[in-house]
Amino acid sequence: MEKILELADIHRSFGAVKALSEINLQIHKGERVALIGASGSGKTTLLRLLGAQLAPDRGEIRVLGRDPLALGESGLRELRSRLGYMPQDLGLVPNLRVLQNVVAGRCGRRSILGTLRDLILPALGVRRRIHALLERVGIEEKMYDRVDTLSGGQQQRVAVARALFQEPVALLADEPVSAVDPARARDVLDLLVRLCEEEGLTLLVSMHQLELAQDYFPRVVGLKAGRIVFDGEGSSLREEEMADLFQLRERAAGV
Amino acid sequence: MKVPVSIWSGKRLVVVILLGVLVTCGWILGPRVIHLSEGANPFAEIERFFGGALAPSLEDENPSLPAGAKPFLLRTGESLMRTCRYALVAMSLALPAGLVLGFLASSAWWPGAMMYGAASLKRRLLRGSLRLLRWMCRLLITLGRSIHELVWALLFLSALGDAPIAACVALALPFAGTLGKVFSELIDEQTQAPRAALMATGASPLQAFCGALLPAAFPEMLTYTVYRFECALRSSAVLGFIGVETIGLGIRQSYENLYYGEVWTQLYALVVLVVLVDILGARLRERLNRGVARKALPEPTAGEERYPEDLLRRTAPRDWVVRGGVLATVLLTLLCWNVGKELGADLTTDQRSERMSRFLTKLTPAPVRPENRLATGSERVEAFRGKTGEVADWAGDLWTRNGAEALLNTVAIASAAIVLAGVGAALLLPLGSRALARGDPFGVLGAASRGVRFLWAAVGFFTRSLFVLGRAVPEYVYAFLLVGLLGPSAWPLVLALALHNLGILGRLWGEVMENQRPEGPRHWIQCGAGRFQAYLGSLAPLSFNRFLLFFFYRWETCIREATILGMLGISSLGYYVSIAHNWLRYDEMLFYVLLGAAAVFAGDLLSDWMRRRLRGSAGCS
Repeated sequence: MEKILELADIHRSFGAVKALSEINLQIHKGERVALIGASGSGKTTLLRLLGAQLAPDRGEIRVLGRDPLALGESGLRELRSRLGYMPQDLGLVPNLRVLQNVVAGRCGRRSILGTLRDLILPALGVRRRIHALLERVGIEEKMYDRVDTLSGGQQQRVAVARALFQEPVALLADEPVSAVDPARARDVLDLLVRLCEEEGLTLLVSMHQLELAQDYFPRVVGLKAGRIVFDGEGSSLREEEMADLFQLRERAAGV
Repeated sequence: MKVPVSIWSGKRLVVVILLGVLVTCGWILGPRVIHLSEGANPFAEIERFFGGALAPSLEDENPSLPAGAKPFLLRTGESLMRTCRYALVAMSLALPAGLVLGFLASSAWWPGAMMYGAASLKRRLLRGSLRLLRWMCRLLITLGRSIHELVWALLFLSALGDAPIAACVALALPFAGTLGKVFSELIDEQTQAPRAALMATGASPLQAFCGALLPAAFPEMLTYTVYRFECALRSSAVLGFIGVETIGLGIRQSYENLYYGEVWTQLYALVVLVVLVDILGARLRERLNRGVARKALPEPTAGEERYPEDLLRRTAPRDWVVRGGVLATVLLTLLCWNVGKELGADLTTDQRSERMSRFLTKLTPAPVRPENRLATGSERVEAFRGKTGEVADWAGDLWTRNGAEALLNTVAIASAAIVLAGVGAALLLPLGSRALARGDPFGVLGAASRGVRFLWAAVGFFTRSLFVLGRAVPEYVYAFLLVGLLGPSAWPLVLALALHNLGILGRLWGEVMENQRPEGPRHWIQCGAGRFQAYLGSLAPLSFNRFLLFFFYRWETCIREATILGMLGISSLGYYVSIAHNWLRYDEMLFYVLLGAAAVFAGDLLSDWMRRRLRGSAGCS
């Protein structure tokens, strides 16, 4: 199968803090992968590396078969436009409408004039497509409402719609279920998994709930202090490996 | 929790230092507050003046007006409309300039963000030139702001003749600078998450700027523009004191004729206008923050689509009040440009250029002034050659003669005033704060009697009204009235500045306190503290850094105002500016103007530096 994300011996530090070391990871087209680990284990850094937003200090990186480090501005923008990225804080503009927040997803393929036009009122065809997309995430009646009038769960769906409007090859979601209650967390994961199956997208989600990861993701990658400590089928995770991750969680929580 | 003692002593130290500044400034300015000629009874005049407050005139007090003259109320109405008109015209010039300056003074849209590897030569060159452009913009902003609009008006009216447009341009210059500065700060202070999210989808920095930062900053930019319009109204009124036909001119004339009833009528008219705009701004902010509620959607039809796109778009929540208001303002501004008395001067091009030439000649320092009053540019440059030493001697002479002392007095007036305003606001805050001035502060003593509740509500209302009155009247108008009542000394200027800034600090500090979480002071009150103890022990220390932030911001504007208040005849920079202007010694005037600009520039830098330091620590206090 086609490898769409590849990392080989990646290192990345922020000042004195080593965020990632010796990362080797390959993700194939259509795979569904959960990235689990405690806060500060390097999940966000890893996702941002894969999203071509961050450069490694050392190591080989291939995103959709290309080396982002070798790309110029237009090449990088084109590459990023094919990766849907949902940041943990969602990154929505609260006083703009849902429509404008979703249409911003195609900035990477638009000129500045096109972006300005989209900000006022996108073309009819585009509006229809966004309407259909919002229908699929279940909030089409909110299309013309301001984002800050929406509930947290609805705002998350706006961010999903914005990422899907990019028509990406892969969807990278940073902690989409960290701030919601357990029932809502299952709703969000149901939605992400369903959409990615329908579109044939590769899905990579970071989280810290091992149980949810095992339920929804055939493959689980465990991160601990910037290193990959587990990579395989979630159900094959051995007791001590699980304990190791949990222990780490407790220690992180105690800080 | 361990309370770090050093922070407390730091706060006490700051208060002691500020009071020391007040004493020092008082010593510099001299102790005598009232300066009237022997035998005059100041209190009789003061009594008569404040008597006018209760009996404002609705008719002319001058008994010997010619028949057929316009009645007083009509004249007042007209001058009020002209005040509005010049303020609107000035804002219509300042706003586009401010937008451009604000955009260029921000670096959030520069290309090259979130890129890998070494930047190409092309991009490095581009960023270098953008940095240069930003630097030039910031210089322009500071230059425009460091000269007071009243001084710009003196310069323009001298250069271009008595045309209203000269006054409007004079207003617009510093206002464009301030708008540009605040716009760029508002944009830079927005949360970066939406920008980062757009860049992650492949947007260019410019697209992320337009799609995320600008829309997020827009409501604050709009409400700040309304606030600036309120300031423009005040400044436009003040321009009346140098002869522009706004309400300030009427106030001055009535006061000089001792028609105190007329003075109060016009003051009330100005206050009502300013307070109306103030309320409008507050309402606008509220609306923009809240957004409008969507109309209820009809039950979905049984078709495939539950809510079709065009139905949603037709019923989308739209704030017609705000949209209509913006449209009406644009139309009104167009009207202001085109209807009524001609804004430009009634001069031919030749006359204009001759005037300008003569002005430039007089503006040239005396030692290098060309013989020919209508000299060309190259002749003027020629005259300078080899004479820099003489110009330096000339400037040094002005500096030792009056400049140094005037500069010192100006800074002392501003500093004494802002400390006084700060002390006053700090003392009045517990009486004016919406959180403290109520029957049951922080909702602890739910059982306060009706009488107590009413009393505190009344105290709060009156204190806040005092704040509103303080900030609604321009400091120049207060200074003009106080100099008349108390006689020529620096103290009326100090009091005037203090009174105006008391109103502003009272409001800003009050908002800071209301935004604090109530747990701290509530805990104090639950432990048996009174409202003043809760204020001193909990609210004030919690808000201290934010208080200082606004204190330094106002200190900077006080220096700016103090450079012109001397025009009322009190030895400080403004005094020498106006003397030189009256004697048509424009070169000396320019010297004092630049001295004032240097003081404002330095104050600007110092205040910016302090505020940046405070902002770093304000979050955790």
